[in-house]
Amino acid sequence: MSLNFFKPFAEYVYPHRWKIFWGLVLLLGTQAVQALVPLLMKWAIDTAKAGLDVGDLTGDVVDTITGSPMGDLQMYGALMVGLGIAQWGMSFGMRWFIASASRFIERDIRTIYVRHIVRLPLSFFQAQRVGDLMARATNDVEAIQRFFYFAYRLSLQAVLSFVLSLILMCIIDWQLALLALAPMPVMAFCARWVGQKVRVGYRRVQEQFAAVSSKIQENLTGMRMVKAFAMRPLEIVDFGILNEEYVTRNRHLIKIRSLYYPFTFLLSGVSMIVILWLGGLRVIEGSLSLGAFVAFNAYLLRMSRPMSMLGRIVDEYQRAVASLRRIEEVLKVSPQPDVAGGTTGDIRGEIEFRNTSFSYNGQRVLKDINLRIEAGSTLAVVGRVGSGKSTLARLIPRLIQADEGRVLIDGKPVEDIPLQTIRDATGYVPQDAFLFSDTIRENVALGTRAEGDVVRATEISQLAPDLHLFPEQLETIVGERGVTLSGGQKQRTAIARAVIREPRILIMDDALASVDTRTEEEILKYLREIMASRTTILIAHRISTVKDADHIIVLDEGRIVEQGSHDELVDHDGIYADMFRRQHLARELEIL
Amino acid sequence: MEEEEIGHKGFDLRLMARLMNFLRPYAWWVVLTFVLIIVASVVRQAGPYLTKIAVDDYIVPGDVDGLTYLVMIYIGLLVAQFGVGYCQSWTTNMIGQWAMHDVRLQIFMHLQRLPMRFFDRTPVGRLMARNTNDVDALNELFTDGIVSMISDIFTIVTILAYIFYMDVTLGLLICLALPVAFVATVWLQNKTFFAYRIARTLFARFSSSLQETVSGMEVVQLFGCEDRCVKRFEDPNKEYLDARLKSTFYHAVYFPIMELGGVLLSALVLWYGGVRVLDGEIQWGVLVAMLQYVPRFFMPLRDIADRFTVLQVAMASSERIFELLDTKPESLGGTVKADHLKGEIEFQNVWFAYNEGEWVLRDVSFRVAPGQSLALVGATGAGKSTVIGLVCRFYDIQRGAILVDGVDIREWDVEELRRRIGVVQQDVFLFAGDIEANISLGHPRISRQEVEQAARDVNADRFIDKLPDTYEHEVLERGSSLSVGQRQLISFARTLASGPDILILDEATANVDTETEMWIQDAVAKLMRSRTSIAIAHRLSTIRNADNILVMHRGQIREEGDHDTLLKQNGIYARLYQLQYEGT
Repeated sequence: MSLNFFKPFAEYVYPHRWKIFWGLVLLLGTQAVQALVPLLMKWAIDTAKAGLDVGDLTGDVVDTITGSPMGDLQMYGALMVGLGIAQWGMSFGMRWFIASASRFIERDIRTIYVRHIVRLPLSFFQAQRVGDLMARATNDVEAIQRFFYFAYRLSLQAVLSFVLSLILMCIIDWQLALLALAPMPVMAFCARWVGQKVRVGYRRVQEQFAAVSSKIQENLTGMRMVKAFAMRPLEIVDFGILNEEYVTRNRHLIKIRSLYYPFTFLLSGVSMIVILWLGGLRVIEGSLSLGAFVAFNAYLLRMSRPMSMLGRIVDEYQRAVASLRRIEEVLKVSPQPDVAGGTTGDIRGEIEFRNTSFSYNGQRVLKDINLRIEAGSTLAVVGRVGSGKSTLARLIPRLIQADEGRVLIDGKPVEDIPLQTIRDATGYVPQDAFLFSDTIRENVALGTRAEGDVVRATEISQLAPDLHLFPEQLETIVGERGVTLSGGQKQRTAIARAVIREPRILIMDDALASVDTRTEEEILKYLREIMASRTTILIAHRISTVKDADHIIVLDEGRIVEQGSHDELVDHDGIYADMFRRQHLARELEIL
Repeated sequence: MEEEEIGHKGFDLRLMARLMNFLRPYAWWVVLTFVLIIVASVVRQAGPYLTKIAVDDYIVPGDVDGLTYLVMIYIGLLVAQFGVGYCQSWTTNMIGQWAMHDVRLQIFMHLQRLPMRFFDRTPVGRLMARNTNDVDALNELFTDGIVSMISDIFTIVTILAYIFYMDVTLGLLICLALPVAFVATVWLQNKTFFAYRIARTLFARFSSSLQETVSGMEVVQLFGCEDRCVKRFEDPNKEYLDARLKSTFYHAVYFPIMELGGVLLSALVLWYGGVRVLDGEIQWGVLVAMLQYVPRFFMPLRDIADRFTVLQVAMASSERIFELLDTKPESLGGTVKADHLKGEIEFQNVWFAYNEGEWVLRDVSFRVAPGQSLALVGATGAGKSTVIGLVCRFYDIQRGAILVDGVDIREWDVEELRRRIGVVQQDVFLFAGDIEANISLGHPRISRQEVEQAARDVNADRFIDKLPDTYEHEVLERGSSLSVGQRQLISFARTLASGPDILILDEATANVDTETEMWIQDAVAKLMRSRTSIAIAHRLSTIRNADNILVMHRGQIREEGDHDTLLKQNGIYARLYQLQYEGT
């Protein structure tokens, strides 16, 4: 570990370099002042002892500054108080500068991270677990903060206090100083050995911890099984074995780890003995003063505390670097490619698929789609689950990217239109409506329009009739901390969200699945007005939803297998006609 | 992400007493630890006192032999200190581990007894956190919190004892530091406690807003509200910074004050002690030792502030653990047991709702005679799965009665009853382990022969024999390496191996290849033939083979009879039949 801890963090430290700089200056100041204290003790004791040995406490018989040993004693006491106050001020400043810098760095990294991830392509999020992305923004950022706050300051403190103490001790008596510190390299070597053993033991403990956790997870996930097969006693035995092994591995770890602190005490103890013995002998010889003997003891004590923390410092540094690496892993992912140029005028809403294919996980989900949707017309898409309906729709606002062929809007490839332009022009209602834990109004507006429009949008989406059910109507907060909306209410909120933006292209991806047939008819009645002038893509399972569309396509295994108007398709007597018959039957069942 | 908030009360004695219960089995170890702590602090703090003896008795008079003798004693003490320190660290940590072992086991055992309803409502992640993070926090509470604090207190007491033994006047002077340190620590606690709480709340707020943004990224990007979401995160993140800076400030004030206290006290001791030496009231060694004790005295004083923080965090965790342990377990049922069931099941006017007022079953009555098979059919949401859950007594009914072998289900010993009932679930849950373990489920009474026999009986041997390592084949990640059909066959074998008197089958709807489908149909027929069985049937073959068919619709039984009779009625069954089996 080099002293230049900054290197990996340079980019984030730079904006706060002055805080760090002043922190370091003050750190040096505090260490220098602290190093003087034992020296003062030495002088005070030496003068006093000289006075006492001569037997004159007030006269000018020995070398005194104030004129008497008593006076000198008072002066040194006062000087110490002065140093204490100076140290107090500098120590406060040092802590404040470094600690606040660590907090600012924490905030910066987190902000950079969040600003970055919202620009990443959606495909990135499909491959990542939410919890893992969150952990980087929380635990990992905190690990970096902790390093700057704690380990960074302490390591510099340790080095400085060691060097300064060593210098001053050498000035007093270099032989004794070196002898006192002689056991340290041996001990440092041993500490390293213990550290390595601890790391191995810790890894084994972590492995077992993972085993215990996955046992619990499995048990809880399969609870129905566990109960149905009355597996309780067996599960407890199973868990007990893992739990026991966890304790055993911890015992091995504790056996070694418990060495650590007694070891560091031993380290300083050996040095103390050297001072007491060799130092004592020198005092008896007369080659060392009693004051110097006291000062040596004080220096050793000052060195021992930061030394005992070295293990923790190294540990936190490694953790911070690992965390930074995890964060940068995400920062390295490039944002979704986009063309510059803001809005390139209005989009009319003509959509064309030309030999478009799309694969997911090596499976072709869409195969050679050729389709033209006139601006302002309504296209309905039906087909079984997994037939490629949503994939088709998601290609339009570039939520995904076709890997063969192209998708054109107004005759222009989608890749050549700025993302913002396409997305502003598209109102997309996804299958499962995602709501933010915010007011219904905010969920509809998402920061876009004026109030009147929100009301209008909820009327069109038929959310308005339900609003009186909520304690504060539009201002009701939804989600975990507020009311829970039913699936249908969620979908209607999502429809309102799309409608309010008056999009040129409206995509309803099975958006009416959770509303009952009567509400569906109401919504469609209102939507028809809007749909009349806009390009609409209607993905649905219910024939009742799609039957009035200008054009209907039936997808099966990624291909268009049937297309035409409702009547044409019913006459054709294929998949669509079969669906139509079944739904008719199901309808009858519902009435029974 | 779960909101992590600090307990409202901070330090709660009642909670503490409950926590101490976990230490009861290790009471003697705890006593030993305390003894070791006392011995350790006495030995560890003896250094300056020995220095005093060295200075006064040997160095100043010039007694070389005496000094050497004393150094030997010091070395002895150092060795003792190492030994005692090691033992103390070992016992402290091990008591923590043992107690946590017990807590974990207790939580796990408690979870096994909680009703199904509880698991329907509580996300697995939250329960995981109880048994991992929260337990770890408890461990920290014990080792880093309580024991370290007690050790700190003993250190302070020991130092005071040495000091007073040497000189009462200087001792009193050093005691001046106590009220100052106490006031400073209380001040810090008051200030940071609230700042900390506010910070945790803000932390929870921005992380949940971030989590929302990540989960809803599609909507965020589609509706171009990236900036809005970033702002919703940045505001609390900014406030969090402010709250943290505040507590940082208090810490930056506190620690230098303690340092200042240390230096001031040293100066006082140096001056006043020096005066007393000059006056001949104390000897040099006393002053030397006092000067060494002052910084040693301040270390534990300021560490206590850190211990408090650990305590507060852990209190919140223990609160959550106890809340879980206090959740009422499911009823054990009555005392009726049987080695063998005849297999008669009767529902008498059963009403049931998961949530009050929303009836899922309304006035359901039927009877299955021993050895008979019953098929339940109906649309999704008709209440078929609920019937099955009730036979296993996963839930208790609100009205009516369920009888097994003529005895009310509530009078049966729940686990004994479940042991006699074999359930084949729709979603096959495979455990980590090999095929054999997944069939025997670890029951020691089920031998390898029986496992193989069960596999043969349900045609599962055909694919198991082809697997590498056959029955020792390790199932990966919940069985992702096996096909849906193969997993179903394993679950048949598993149920058969448990030797049930009543079979409950929730048929999966998933498509499987024709060959496997054939083996499955054959296996289902075999399973249902020899014992009482209830099946939620999707396969036509299963329905046709059943002795009786119940047609459920919206929580009620609407039609009953065998296949041909029901078809002739031209009611719901006839339509369901058309819907599912004609034209496909």
